[in-house]
Amino acid sequence: MKQHAIPVPIQMPVTAPVVTLVIGSGSVKCAAAIGVVKALTDAGIGIDRVVGCSAGALFASCVALGFDTATSRDLTVRTWTREITSQRNVKGLLRLVAPRLFGFRADNFGLRGDGLLRQRLRDVFGDRCIEDTAIPLHITATDFANGELVEIVRGPLVDAIRASLSLPLAFEPVRLGERLLVDGYLSDPLPVSVAMKHGARVIVAVGFENPYQERISSAGRFAFQLSAILANNLLRSRLAFHSAAHHSELIMILPEFKRRVRLFDTAMVPYIIEEGEQATLQQLPYLHSLLNADRDRLAQAA
Amino acid sequence: MEIALVPHADVLVLSITGSVDSLNADQLTSAFAGPIGEGRQRLVADFAQVNYTSSAGLRSLLITVKECRRAGGDLRLAALQPQVERVLSIAGFTGILKVYDDVPSAVASFGDAA
Repeated sequence: MKQHAIPVPIQMPVTAPVVTLVIGSGSVKCAAAIGVVKALTDAGIGIDRVVGCSAGALFASCVALGFDTATSRDLTVRTWTREITSQRNVKGLLRLVAPRLFGFRADNFGLRGDGLLRQRLRDVFGDRCIEDTAIPLHITATDFANGELVEIVRGPLVDAIRASLSLPLAFEPVRLGERLLVDGYLSDPLPVSVAMKHGARVIVAVGFENPYQERISSAGRFAFQLSAILANNLLRSRLAFHSAAHHSELIMILPEFKRRVRLFDTAMVPYIIEEGEQATLQQLPYLHSLLNADRDRLAQAA
Repeated sequence: MEIALVPHADVLVLSITGSVDSLNADQLTSAFAGPIGEGRQRLVADFAQVNYTSSAGLRSLLITVKECRRAGGDLRLAALQPQVERVLSIAGFTGILKVYDDVPSAVASFGDAA
């Protein structure tokens, strides 16, 4: 699959222990990445590049800007609430019912208004641009015209995150340049390929499977179920390929949420962060051994 | 990682203990390659004592299963621990590898297939 990005130099070998972090889609569950970063940081492991998709783009941006755990947790609680999808887009509904009469177009269809989401993203990120972040940041979205994964590495953070977060049917697609973009999870829910393409060695990938509906009682839940089936199968097939193709190591952090976490269970953010941290702590002994061995291998090669 | 070889008629069981990861994937691949080179292509990997696997471990399994199947045999997995099964599942590997609850079932499955 062709990917579009402004070229970024391949990272040169480094001696400090670093990993490339990839945060997949997963709604509020992506807050687990805050715990992952905390565990890595406490262990003295740095992050040389971060990739984010859909809600993961929000947290990837926090990492790239160097927000600490408390700041990231607070802004998650303030930003990721049910209200961001509660604004009905009446025009969108009318376009659904009478497309010709109300001028249905691909770039103007969404059943929810995105005003509040955009406002909250602006409150957090202001006018910051991707290229201004301390850690190289890559946000992924999907080209609506052909399904290709699009890597956004320049421009306003708010626009990039909003594009990556274009939940199908709910939010209108976002036009960036000549492309009309929809949610990043539609092309890859855990875009490890972006890290690989940029020469990452040890990749820590924080991924989440979409939850299946307990009860299908509406067309909306029916659509969610179909979306979950597709996304989970895509996640598995892409991970299978990336696991087989990566030349170094791909460490998957798959937090196990024993309590059910719904899309906007904002009150569970502390629990989600804790689960992310615990899942990472379990990987640390191996991660340290791996990074030490990798450093020795690079030193010998040099 | 430790690997013990236990023959069961024409099936060879490799009982693995420890992690299957980048630090020892080559060792595992070699352990599998030895019997395959000697004409033993019906292999069972006993994962009862494997507590972790990474992408490098998955690649080792992939190399081995391809070699076995190319030679007319197979590599089958037995007794996966839940955390290992989860990694294999989410990476799509349970879709291409045969997995059994225990070693006797995995060994017997070759008789069923033969």
